[in-house]
Amino acid sequence: MIRPRWRKVLSDLWDNKMRTLLVVASIAVGVFSIGMIAGTYEIISKDMGASYASANPANIDLRTDDFNQELLDSIKNVDGVNEAEGRRFFSVRVRIPGGEWTNLDLVAINDFTDNHVNLLLPIEGNPYPANKQVLLEKKALADLSVQVGDDLEFQLPNGKIKTMAVAGIVQDQTTGAGDFLAPPLSYVTRDTLPWLGQSTDYNRLLVTVEGDSNDIDHIREVSTSVSDKIEKSNILVYRTELNKTNEHPMSSTVEAILGILMALGILIVFLSSSLIANTLNSLLTQHLPHIGVMKLIGARSQQIFGMYIALILSFGMIALLIALPTGGQAAYALSLFIANKMNFNLQGYRIVPLAYLLQIIVALLIPLVAGFIPVINGSRVKVQEAISGSGLSASKASYGWLERLGSRVKWLTRPMLISLRNTFRRKRRLLLTLLTLTIGGAIFIAVFNVQLSLEDFIKKTEKYFIADVTLNFDRPYRVDEINNAVMNVPHVQHSEGWSFVSADIIRPDNSVADYLTILAPPVDSKLIDPIMLEGRWLQPGDKKAITVSEAIWSDFPDLQAGEQLKLKINGQEDEWTVVGIFRFISRDQIIGYATYDYISELLNLPKQAFSYRIVTDEHTLEYQKQMSATIDKYLRDLGYHVSETQAGLSTLETASESLAILINFLLIMALLTALVGSIGLTGTMGMNVMERTREIGVMRAIGATDGQLMRTVMVEGMIIGLISWFLGAIFSFPITFLLSRIISLAIFNSPSQFVLNPMGFIIWLGLVLILSAIASVLPARSAARLTIREVLAYE
Amino acid sequence: MNDTTNALQIQLRKVIKRFKTGAGEYIGLRGVDVDIMAGQFVAIVGKSGSGKSTLLNMITGIDHPTSGEVLVNGVNIYKMTESERSLWRGHNLGIVFQFFQLLPMLTLLENTMLPMDYCNAFSPNERPERAMELLKMVGLQEQAHKLPAAVSSGQQQAAAIARALATDPPIIVADEPTGNLDSRSSEEIIELFYQLVSKGKTIILVTHDPSITKRTTRTLVISDGMIINETVAQALPLLNHTQMLKVTNLLERMDIPAGNTIIHKGEHIDYFFMIAQGEVEVVLQSQKREEVTLARLGAGEFFGEVELINGSNSIASVRATPDGPVKLVALHRKDFADMLVGSPLTEESITRIVQARLAQNRAADRRRRLW
Repeated sequence: MIRPRWRKVLSDLWDNKMRTLLVVASIAVGVFSIGMIAGTYEIISKDMGASYASANPANIDLRTDDFNQELLDSIKNVDGVNEAEGRRFFSVRVRIPGGEWTNLDLVAINDFTDNHVNLLLPIEGNPYPANKQVLLEKKALADLSVQVGDDLEFQLPNGKIKTMAVAGIVQDQTTGAGDFLAPPLSYVTRDTLPWLGQSTDYNRLLVTVEGDSNDIDHIREVSTSVSDKIEKSNILVYRTELNKTNEHPMSSTVEAILGILMALGILIVFLSSSLIANTLNSLLTQHLPHIGVMKLIGARSQQIFGMYIALILSFGMIALLIALPTGGQAAYALSLFIANKMNFNLQGYRIVPLAYLLQIIVALLIPLVAGFIPVINGSRVKVQEAISGSGLSASKASYGWLERLGSRVKWLTRPMLISLRNTFRRKRRLLLTLLTLTIGGAIFIAVFNVQLSLEDFIKKTEKYFIADVTLNFDRPYRVDEINNAVMNVPHVQHSEGWSFVSADIIRPDNSVADYLTILAPPVDSKLIDPIMLEGRWLQPGDKKAITVSEAIWSDFPDLQAGEQLKLKINGQEDEWTVVGIFRFISRDQIIGYATYDYISELLNLPKQAFSYRIVTDEHTLEYQKQMSATIDKYLRDLGYHVSETQAGLSTLETASESLAILINFLLIMALLTALVGSIGLTGTMGMNVMERTREIGVMRAIGATDGQLMRTVMVEGMIIGLISWFLGAIFSFPITFLLSRIISLAIFNSPSQFVLNPMGFIIWLGLVLILSAIASVLPARSAARLTIREVLAYE
Repeated sequence: MNDTTNALQIQLRKVIKRFKTGAGEYIGLRGVDVDIMAGQFVAIVGKSGSGKSTLLNMITGIDHPTSGEVLVNGVNIYKMTESERSLWRGHNLGIVFQFFQLLPMLTLLENTMLPMDYCNAFSPNERPERAMELLKMVGLQEQAHKLPAAVSSGQQQAAAIARALATDPPIIVADEPTGNLDSRSSEEIIELFYQLVSKGKTIILVTHDPSITKRTTRTLVISDGMIINETVAQALPLLNHTQMLKVTNLLERMDIPAGNTIIHKGEHIDYFFMIAQGEVEVVLQSQKREEVTLARLGAGEFFGEVELINGSNSIASVRATPDGPVKLVALHRKDFADMLVGSPLTEESITRIVQARLAQNRAADRRRRLW
C-alpha cells in the first residue's frame, strides 16, 4: 500500500488540476523549446552536410570556355583528381505552352546512367531522360506547375522555340541557396544539344578530389593543377568555385541562425524557470497549513522537504512526457522546413539523444533549482506560523509611494484602486512575472527593430537594383544601337549598357581563393547607389580599380580599402586596387564593381555590352514584368539574341528571400517568448485570484456585479502588462543592439546599424494588452463565478 | 416599536435547503417560514450547525434555496442572476461579517466608498463626504485614512458597519458581528445597531451572545434546520433546543376573539396554553357576583399549568381581554407531562410558578369571601 505521505503528493498533483496544469505548462514550454532547437541544431548540422555529401558534390567547379571530351579525359589523369565530369550550361526561357516565360538554365549531361558528381536524386518519373526530353530540378516547379509527361516550350538563345516533354523531376542537393541569383536548373542529354542549336562541347568542369575532400587547401592545390592543365590548352577558366564534400555552402549561415535560436531557447528556459519559481512559491504558501499539521503530528523538515521535492519532480516528469515527444516532432518539422528552403534532404525522423538529454536535464533540474528556495523555506516553517490562518486583514498596515500616489488621483474609482494596489501586493511574484513578460516584450520589440534594420537593408539593397528591367544578350551588341532601339519602346526612359566578367581571386600563394563576379556600369551610372563600408565608389578614369562586397572578408578578413588584390580575368593575372568595400546581401557570394570603360577595354569589346539596365516610367513589380516582356518581344522581333529579361524587383525578391526566412524565424521565437510571458501572467493572475477568493466574495456581498469583478482582475493584469511594456521598451534597446550585431555578423560579416522600429513598440503594446486581457480573463471569469457561500464560510 | 404597524419586509416561504456533501445529502433548512417586518431587530440563535447561517444566506441571496421562495420587499431574489442579485444586494442589504472582511488594500474611507462605487449610489462627488459622515457616526473619523491592518478589531467592525450602511440599504444583516470582539467593543457595536433600529433600519443578526438577544425585538431560534415557535422559546426558555423543537411540532393553535372566555372556573382542562399574541385576564367572581382580575398575562406567558400539575379542575376563569383578539398555542396534557419529564429544570421552574399562582389565588379567594 502506498504510504500516506506519498498519497498526499499524489493528491496534491491531482486535486488542483488547474495549478498542476500551470506548473506543467511552465516547465513544458521551456523543455519544448530547448528540445526543438537542440534537436533542429543537431539534425540540421548532421543532415545538411550528409545530404550535401550524398550528392557527391564537386570539390572544384570551373566555368570555362568550351572544351571537348579529350581534354576532360586528360584532366581525369591530373594528380589528385578522383572524378571529373563535363557539363554544358546555357540559359533558355521556358513556358508551359501559352503561359508566361521564365528563365531556366539547361544542363547537358553526357550519360545520366554514369553520373558520379553532383548526383541527381530522382523524385518523380524517369531519372534518365531520352533525347529531346528534359528533367526538371524541383525548384523549377515553383515557377512552372507541370507534371511528368507534360510538354514545355523552350526558347533558345537564337530565338527558336523547341518543345520537350518532362521526363522526370529530380533534386540537385548541390544547388542550395548558395547562388541565390541563379535560375533553376533542368537537364537534357548531351545528344540533345545539336537539336537545341548548341555545340556538344562542355563549358563547366566538375571535379572531385582524391584524398581529403574536406581539406580546402588540398582542394585548392588540385584546382590549381586542373586550371593549369586547362589553360595550357588555351581554354580560359572564368570562375573557380571550391567546396568541401561535407560542408553545405550555406552551413555557416544556417548555423549562425540556429545559434541565435539556441540563445533564445536558453532564454525561454530561464523565463520558464522564473514561472516555476512563482508557481511553487504560491503552492507552498497555500500548503502552509498542511505543512503545519504534518509537523504537528511529527513530520521532520527533511521529510516535508522530500515530499515537496517529489512533487516538483513529478511536475517535471509530466512536463517531460508532454514536451519530449512534441519537442522531437517540432525539431523534425522545423528541420524539414529549413531543409526544404535550403534544398537538402533529411535522413528521416529520429530521436536526437543530445536533445532528449538536455530536455531531461531542463525538465528535472530547472524546477528543482527554481523550487529549492521556496521548498526549503516552506519545510522549515514553524508549526505556529504554518497553522495560524489569517483573514483578510492579515496585511500590511501602510502602503508605499505608488499606492499613495494612486489615492491622490481623484478620478481613480475604488475598484480601479483595488486593481492598482493588488498589482503591488505580491512584489516578488510581480517581479518574476514582470521579468518574464519584460524579456519577452524586449525580444519582441528587438526582433521588430532587427527586422526593420534587415528590411531597411533590403531596401537599401534595392539601390543595387534600381533599373526596372535587366536585359541580357548571348552576344555583345553596340551600346548605342541597343540604347536607341530600347528607347523606341514606349515608357522606357533610360538605358545603360553594363559589362560584366568573372574573375578568380588569387591568394599570395597563387592558389584560387574564390571567384568574383565583376559588374561594370558606366562610371556615372545613376542605377546603383551602394552602401559603402570603407573607401570610395568608382571614379572616372579608374583603371584596375575595383569595389568589392563585404563577403570578401570571409577570405581576406584584414583587407582594407586601398589595398591590392590579385585577380585572374580571362587567364590574365593582375594586381587590382580595392578602392572601396560595400555592403551586399550575401556573405557567400562576392561581387565587385569596376568601370565600364575599363572592363570593356579589358574584354576587347569597347562600346559594346552583353547586359543592359533599363528604367521605365513606373516601378512596381507588375509593371516591370510587363515592360520586360514588351522589351523582350520588341528586341527579339528586331532579331537581337536576347538571352533573358528580368524585372528589377524580382531579382531583389529572390535575393532577400533568405533574410525573410530569418525574420520569420525571429518572429516565431519572439512570439514564443511572448507566449511564455503570457503563461506566466495567467499563472500569476490565477494565483492572485485563488488567494483573493475571500476578497472577491466580499466584493460580491457588497454589490459588485460580474462585470465589475472581471474588470478588477483584468485591469490588474493589464497594469502588469503595461508596466512590462514600458520596461520591455527600455530593455529592447540593448537587446536590439546585441541581436542585430550577432545577426549582422552572421549574415553580412560586419556589424549592422541600430534601427528603431516604432511598429515593434506599438504592436507589442497592443499584443501585451491583448495577452494580459486573455491571461486574466480566465481567472477573472472564475472570480466572477465564485459564489459568496463558497468563499465566506460562516460556520 | 410596534411591529404590527410596520410593513412585511422579508418573507421566507417553505424554504428547504439540501446540501450534497461527500458523506451524502444533508438538509440545512427543512421548510422554514419566517416573516420579518420592517424596523424589527431580529436575532437568530441556534447551535453550531443548526442552520442559522444557512437561513441568513437565504435572506441575503448568498445561497440558493432548494425549494421555496424568499421575498424581500416583495421581490423574489432567486429569480435574478447572481450578478443582478449582487447589485440588488448592494442597494438593499448591508452585510456585516464576523471577521469584518474589509478589503486590506483600501483605507477605511475607501472601503466605505466601495459599495457606492459598485452600485453607483450617490454622485461621485458626494461619496467621500457620505463615507466620512458614516465613519464619523461610528466614531472613526480620525482613522478614516488608515488601512484596516492599522486599526483595532473593534474599529474594523465599526468600519464594516459604516460600509454596510454606505448605500443606505433598508436592511442590515450581520453574522456574529461581535463574535470576534472583546466585551467593550461588543457593547459599542450593539449600541450602534440599536441606533440604526431607532432610525428605522431592519437588523437581522446571527449571534451566540445571550446579552444581545435580550435587547432584540425578536429572537428566532433555529434547531436542526427548523424554526422553533417563538412563543415556546419565550415561554419555556429552560428547554433545550431539541425539546423546544419537539414541543413546536406538537402545538395546537387557537385564535380567541376579544372578550371571549377560554377557560371557565371549575372546568376540566386538557391543555397547557401559551400566549403568542394579545393579552388574557385571569378572573374570579366574588360572592356579590363581582369580578376580581387576578392577573393579566401577555405574549410569552402561559396558563393552565396549575390544573395539569395538580390534577384539579380550573381554579379561575381565563378570557381574552376586550382590547383585542388573542393567539394561543396549546400543548396537550400528555405532551406537557412528557415535556416535564424530559426537562427537570422546566418542571422545577413551572412548579415554582404554580406555587406562586396558588398562593396568589388563595389570597384572592380569602378576599373574595370577605366581600
